[in-house]
Amino acid sequence: MSIDILTGANAAWLIPALSIIAFPTTVFLGRFLPGKGSFISILAIFLGFILFWFVLFDFLSGNSVPLHVDIDWIHIGFWKITWGFLVDRISIVMLGLITFVALLVQIYSLQYMKGDNRYGWYFSLHAFFAGSMLLVVLADNLLFLYFAWELVGLGSYLLIGFWFDRRSAAEAAKKAFITTRIGDVGLLIGIIILFKATGTFHISSIIHAAQNGGVADSTIFWSSLLIFLGAMGKSGQFPLHVWLPDAMEGPTPVSALIHAATMVAAGVYLAVRMTPLFELVPEVQVTVALVGLITFIFAGVVALVTTDIKRVLAYSTISHLGLMMLSVGTGAVGAALFHLVVHGISKALLFLGAGNIMHATNDATDCWSFGGLKRKMPITTGIFLIGSLSLAGIAPLSGFFSKDEILGSVYQNMGYAFLIITLVGGFISALYMSRIFLITFTGDPRTDFAQNAHESSRIMLLPVVMLAIVAFFLGMVAFPMWDFNGFSAFVEQGYKFHIIPWLAIVSLMVAILGLLTGWVFYYKSLLSHRAMASRFGLFYRGALVGFWVDSIYEFIINRVVLALGRLIAAFDRIVVNDTGIDGSGKSVLLSAFKIRLIQTGKIYSYGTAMAFGVFLAVAVWWVF
Amino acid sequence: MNDFSLLLPEFLVAGLAFFILALDLFIKENWKRYLVWVAFFGLAVILFVSLFIESEGQLYDGLLEFDEFTKFFRIFFLIIGGVTVIISREYVDSRLKYPGEYYGILLFTLLGAMLLASSAELLTAYINLELLSFGLYVLVGYERYNPKSNEASVKYILLGAFSSALILFGISQIYGLLGTTRFDEMSVAFSSLSSISPGMAVGFVLIVSGLGFKLAAVPFHMWAPDVYEGAPLPITAWLSVGSKAAALALAIRLFSEGFISVFGELQPILIVIAAITMVIGNLLALVQKNIKRLLAYSSIGHVGYLLMGLAALVPIAKTGSVAETFTNLVYNGLLFHMVSYGFTTMAAFLCVITVYNKTGRDDISAFAGLSKRQPLVALVFVCALFSLAGLPIFVGFASKFYLFNAVGGQGLLWLVALAIVMSLISLYYYLTIARQLYIENSEDDAPIAVSFVTKLTLGGLFGVMIILGIYPAFLLEAIQRATDALISGNLLSLV
Repeated sequence: MSIDILTGANAAWLIPALSIIAFPTTVFLGRFLPGKGSFISILAIFLGFILFWFVLFDFLSGNSVPLHVDIDWIHIGFWKITWGFLVDRISIVMLGLITFVALLVQIYSLQYMKGDNRYGWYFSLHAFFAGSMLLVVLADNLLFLYFAWELVGLGSYLLIGFWFDRRSAAEAAKKAFITTRIGDVGLLIGIIILFKATGTFHISSIIHAAQNGGVADSTIFWSSLLIFLGAMGKSGQFPLHVWLPDAMEGPTPVSALIHAATMVAAGVYLAVRMTPLFELVPEVQVTVALVGLITFIFAGVVALVTTDIKRVLAYSTISHLGLMMLSVGTGAVGAALFHLVVHGISKALLFLGAGNIMHATNDATDCWSFGGLKRKMPITTGIFLIGSLSLAGIAPLSGFFSKDEILGSVYQNMGYAFLIITLVGGFISALYMSRIFLITFTGDPRTDFAQNAHESSRIMLLPVVMLAIVAFFLGMVAFPMWDFNGFSAFVEQGYKFHIIPWLAIVSLMVAILGLLTGWVFYYKSLLSHRAMASRFGLFYRGALVGFWVDSIYEFIINRVVLALGRLIAAFDRIVVNDTGIDGSGKSVLLSAFKIRLIQTGKIYSYGTAMAFGVFLAVAVWWVF
Repeated sequence: MNDFSLLLPEFLVAGLAFFILALDLFIKENWKRYLVWVAFFGLAVILFVSLFIESEGQLYDGLLEFDEFTKFFRIFFLIIGGVTVIISREYVDSRLKYPGEYYGILLFTLLGAMLLASSAELLTAYINLELLSFGLYVLVGYERYNPKSNEASVKYILLGAFSSALILFGISQIYGLLGTTRFDEMSVAFSSLSSISPGMAVGFVLIVSGLGFKLAAVPFHMWAPDVYEGAPLPITAWLSVGSKAAALALAIRLFSEGFISVFGELQPILIVIAAITMVIGNLLALVQKNIKRLLAYSSIGHVGYLLMGLAALVPIAKTGSVAETFTNLVYNGLLFHMVSYGFTTMAAFLCVITVYNKTGRDDISAFAGLSKRQPLVALVFVCALFSLAGLPIFVGFASKFYLFNAVGGQGLLWLVALAIVMSLISLYYYLTIARQLYIENSEDDAPIAVSFVTKLTLGGLFGVMIILGIYPAFLLEAIQRATDALISGNLLSLV
């Protein structure tokens, strides 16, 4: 251990370590400390955020070689497994996003969660969740990544089900866990296939071997698809998105965290990380892009009709995750990562804004019960507006730039059909954002508690305002400045920054059109949205229930899985248990009782046994 | 020219033992309960010394050999000895008289164990074995007014004498046929033979029988359950870890330095003993009602796994080309499993002792509802049982996996399969205890108070079980150094 490990980029391992240490500390010591130990968790993530800047500047100032630290874990013969950290450009971006959002969310929670029975436990879970997510992005091998990945899953389970005494919260947590497990199983199998093929878990070695033809194409194909299945589960891609809207049962700051920086970001991160592998098989790339596109449109349509403000934001998240996956599928990992960051900031902003509203209106979430909040909560209105416009893709807010890069890549790699559908998705995005904004903040208050709403306290406004400022200006990093060649070029070697002017204008027009449509429907009421709904009755009802995806799952589980389960259970009870287990168990016990008779307690029989043993041993030698 | 500084730790242990015996004569009765700390901190200092002294070389013209292997076992014995002393504290205070003699004699047995690991000649090894045994004969019968303790001691002495006779007879056979009792000269003499004569095989068998007695290998194990049941509990722990590890150390050195060139011919003997030891030990553990007897049989089962490693020291396929690392792997696995078994067993016995001290009962049902009466002890106990059964994340899993994998690599797959089945069976009786701890209710719900020292020791052993289970790399490095010292020059000549 030299001093090296504590300087510059080498200190990156400290960032997750701090939060991971904060977890047990808060759990065990929190109850003796002021504020139930919440400050430990916040301090850990704050130091992580500070360290992130050191790592970033160390990286920018010439030390641009990806840093790689390895510790031996198990070493059996020729077979070796290590724990290692990899600090490269992708992980640095993720570090920044995670530490920043997690920090602000935790500060916000100080006020939001005040008075909760398990205040300390809440903050220790936050430390655990952030720490495991930071591990995911720093892991240099797939096994380690998988461990951290599962820890993230556990963290989300505990946080979504934080109010587990509410049945719906417990159900939602279970749903999130099981749904993402489906993807995780795929991921695990994919990892094992790759390990079988290459003999290593190291991501860079695997990719290196695959690129040099060391792995069969079919192996790459199947393992890539399976790994992508893992990413789909975590990032809520269609049809594994069902857990994400239900995850709203958790405390609102948790939603902000899950939707912005941790849980769902893991899937996109994994896809970005494994893109060099995906790129080797074009079919996988197309699959990724298609899944992303379907998710983008599908979730956007559902968001159009949902009235629960948090669920609208949730479907919006799913939709934008689809856009990121689309970008990954077109090979534009820089753009995908950029949109991940931009969307993460904007969505955290929106969720915390929604948290402010709920805090002010007695935990109401139905947007039709609000109305006219702009006069009651001017700051929240302002920041919500920034978040909405950013996600709608209005220049010069950050969302415009990230979406523009993705559109450029779709246009160049996929052609017009994809481009047009993506633009339609952009229209939908703008429409539901304007809808939710206009219903919530404009017009007249529709209920008593909307009438009596009040602005939130400073400690809750501070994180939101900071997020709003960042969401506003973050788009600037898309452009080359000084030595910096723009965000995408920072992440993606060899990327050249460029703008396709007509595409940028079209995309902006589409976004403005979306906003205007919302304005026509929900502000001016020139057209009746109710009339539209009854006109497309079946479609509307379908969208309201998420196009029956949940019902289909329910049907499959109830009819097919459970029936199969009962069949296997019968086999298990009769053949395996009664005959196999009980039978062998009884015979083993019976023989044990028989053998026990040798143990007489008499010394001479013991001596005889020893003498017998000597003769037996010699006989064995004689025979063999 | 003898460099006696090599023997420094042994001298210090002997000195400490005499010091305690002498101190016992002069101090007041109510001060004697502090003797345990003299022994414990004395051992700590000696451990510290042994960690840092250079000790490479030979003494007495090669009768004692000091290398990394010796050092590894010396440190292991010192640690286990220290743990035995500390877990004896409350037991001796509450149930035994004469603490001075108890700790003094315990230290002499520790000395015997340490010397066994460095013995490189048969008679020297025999004398050290007797040094270990004589102390244990006394300690087993230390509860003078307990008939069970007396019975155990008598059984142990008589059968121990029998096993000593076997070893001596075996040594005389070897000496008569080879003309030497030194391991290195034996190896040279063997390698000039094309095959071994029946007399030599008999000699080998007799020595193995004697060691098998110490290890409690079937069918030389019959004393073990009776003695384990009768002996004071800390001594039972020391018997099942320290004394077995000492015999194992001798066996490893004897086989790999003395018998290595003819080991292939003698291997079937060890394989058969290993197989029946595993089966009998685990099967009989199933039907035990007394926790000490159960642990006795479970430790016999574990000896079976260790013997399996001993039998696999050379690969079964005698084709001539053998990868050296694979052989090294078995050595590593053996030592790893021994260390893992040692610490885990100590943890389990400490839990039994704690309960026994308060309740005076040692049947399995005495542990019912312990999770409510004393959650910490119940937790450590159940973890120790899981570790013994070989469940991750505990060290028992890592070491079993390592050992089984290594033995499988040597071509003894059927034996590994048997060992895995036996591990499965062992899970049943470990879980019967776990069931008592966590599911059954006890008639007496009064909490059991546990002293701070015990809590600390429990925590330490618990930590060792977890840390070595998750991150065994640093232990494996030490083991690798130990086995490298033993293998270099011995095995390569064979391959």
